[in-house]
Amino acid sequence: MNNINLVQVILLTILAALKAYDYHCTQVCIFNSVFWGAMAGLIMGDLQTGLYVGGTMQLMSLGVVGIGGSSAPDYPLATIIATAISVSTGAGMDIGLTAGIAVGMLFVQLDIIAKLINGAIGRKAQEYCDAGRFEAMDRIILVSVVLMMLTSAIPTLIAVTLGSTVVTLIVDTLPGWFTIGLSVAGGLLPAVGLTMLMTYMPTSKYFAYLLIGFVLNAYLGVPVLGIAMIGIACALLFYQQRMKEMSSAAIMEGGLEDE
Amino acid sequence: MSEQVLDKKDLRKVGHRWIQTCIATYGYELQLAPSVVYALAPALRKIYPNDEDYKKALNNHFKYFNCMPWLAKILLGASLAIEDTQGLDGMNAVQDLKVGLIKPLSGIGDTIGWVMLPTIFGSIAAYMALEGNMVGLGIWLAINAIFWVIRLKLVEIGYFQGVRFITQFGEKINVFTEAASILGLTVVGCLIPSVVKLVCGLNFASGDVILSVQDQIDGVMPALLPVAAVGIMYYLVKVKKVKMNHIILGTLVVSMIGAALGIFTV
Repeated sequence: MNNINLVQVILLTILAALKAYDYHCTQVCIFNSVFWGAMAGLIMGDLQTGLYVGGTMQLMSLGVVGIGGSSAPDYPLATIIATAISVSTGAGMDIGLTAGIAVGMLFVQLDIIAKLINGAIGRKAQEYCDAGRFEAMDRIILVSVVLMMLTSAIPTLIAVTLGSTVVTLIVDTLPGWFTIGLSVAGGLLPAVGLTMLMTYMPTSKYFAYLLIGFVLNAYLGVPVLGIAMIGIACALLFYQQRMKEMSSAAIMEGGLEDE
Repeated sequence: MSEQVLDKKDLRKVGHRWIQTCIATYGYELQLAPSVVYALAPALRKIYPNDEDYKKALNNHFKYFNCMPWLAKILLGASLAIEDTQGLDGMNAVQDLKVGLIKPLSGIGDTIGWVMLPTIFGSIAAYMALEGNMVGLGIWLAINAIFWVIRLKLVEIGYFQGVRFITQFGEKINVFTEAASILGLTVVGCLIPSVVKLVCGLNFASGDVILSVQDQIDGVMPALLPVAAVGIMYYLVKVKKVKMNHIILGTLVVSMIGAALGIFTV
């Protein structure tokens, strides 16, 4: 069952390139697996699957962000590939997700290579600058943007053309524990991202709020939107309290602020 | 050099060119410096009509720069303000400004832009998407659109308000970041039991009764295994300094072995 045509392959490749452009430049749909899943779903003619894959990947990727230039698995890329493979092979969401994540993990290596090439591009740009060739400097810096778009476009092109054939082959030979293992991993992977989030945030200082969120959901079953509202309420109270303290402190300092 | 040559149009162009390259030029040595050069080039050209001065100014920006890209625009604007009034005499001041403010700005930007927004709105969008509902996605996109509009103004704010803006609002922004952390942690507390899934597949036969280990665990508290998993990972990352990618690989391996031995199931 390989229900993917040439137009779809081209569109998915362009979508992946756009995804990379947005990640590196415009940053409006950055880390938004739901959005890229929905787009891939539209291309494949199955919006529901796209949303489902996107939502699943989004939950897995919460907190998995490459901050300050570090390389992290590219979940939106994984989402595009997973959606394409899930729909085209009909092999089920789990298999598509796995294939997508595998490519997403491989992408990390490609990302590192691209960043090494960027180093050479940066040096070359500086050489052009010293030689007074300012237009050449401008142009070579833009090469980095194309390079970054390729790091997503190429894996997508390969994965969606070969992927479905390979995946269908592999699925038939996989042992049962392997597929169960994948599902277990799918349930456990979000813990990685949540852990990373906790390390970025002042977790030990504000542990109480973590506990509040936990109890509200685990014991009382409040959904995430409701808990976010309670979180906003807590944050507002904290902010107002601090602002009050600060304004009374500012009166003490007087007019020291003029330079 | 005291007459300022840049106008709002030049500053908007800087912002536009920053978006064109942004973090795509990231390399391990110069980090985002090529993007800074690309963004500032036309504005610097206007300040320095002389080729040699222009080269010096560009080279001054070909130095380590790594700042959260949304807020980096404030720095770009503030740097230009210095160069526009002091010319090459301000080169050191520009470096000092950048080195001094990269860290605090990134701290705020990373927390809000990369951690809070994708966690809070990402989880809401994801849950709704799983039910085939796109409203959550729409909310997230709308929020980012608002941020986009704010981001468009940041070079100008940096140029006209400069360091004053950052120092004046610095304290307020810190409180804001702390408040955002409180919201973030509340949401994370909710996500641990709802997103992480780990089920024990072991059963014990005691006489005629088959005891499911998972039922015993559920009797203690809900989501005990997910909490334990997060606890172990937090310990590994925070105390043992294990890298994220290694934790991901480890998770895959443990899941496979656990499934093969029947310890974990779905």
